[in-house]
Amino acid sequence: MSQQSHSGSPDQMAMYIRVKHCKTTYFLQCDPTETILKIKEKLHALIDQPVDDQRLILMETGRILDDSKTLADQKVENDAVVALTLRKDDNEFEDVNIVRPNDFYQSRDSDGGVNC
Amino acid sequence: MKKEDTVKLISAEGFEFVIDKKAAMVSQTIRNMLTSPGSFAETEHGEVTFPEISTVILEKICQYFYWSLQYASGKETEFHIEPELTLELMMAANYLHT
Repeated sequence: MSQQSHSGSPDQMAMYIRVKHCKTTYFLQCDPTETILKIKEKLHALIDQPVDDQRLILMETGRILDDSKTLADQKVENDAVVALTLRKDDNEFEDVNIVRPNDFYQSRDSDGGVNC
Repeated sequence: MKKEDTVKLISAEGFEFVIDKKAAMVSQTIRNMLTSPGSFAETEHGEVTFPEISTVILEKICQYFYWSLQYASGKETEFHIEPELTLELMMAANYLHT
């Protein structure tokens, strides 16, 4: 199926990343030249968390991504998986919390205490 | 990107994938849901649940949607499919008219 009809420049489809938090994955379209701050602003539109309360971690390397740098600077590539962590009440950031389908089956019975 | 421009696809295990409507509409089935005048309840909430599609397969499908848009805009890359997913993925693709 090929549809050429969508508007905008081809650059719009330059890349996407998969931002994961708990049981949710956000697919975000982005450009390698965009800064992490821009990405966080996009996330802000989808979840109600302010930019300052978000932390993004590149799963491949475990590196915390820097707001002022671009995706390309930090080697975040097309289809990359990025973990989203949020600031907790005590002002610290939570640990990476990504539930995978298999974990889920196990943790449903034991109720592993993951606060999602 | 605004929240209204996205749609949430929910897998059999209750995992959620938030993707652009534009990407979701690569699937003719989802396109029909989102654009038909009778308006599905799903459309109103921007959520579609697929009780028959497992999380792994649904994620692969979402990746395919984006790959497909990239391909259409001239970026010719290969779409990698793990052999063990092939059958289940084909069945889902058939269902979604993708």
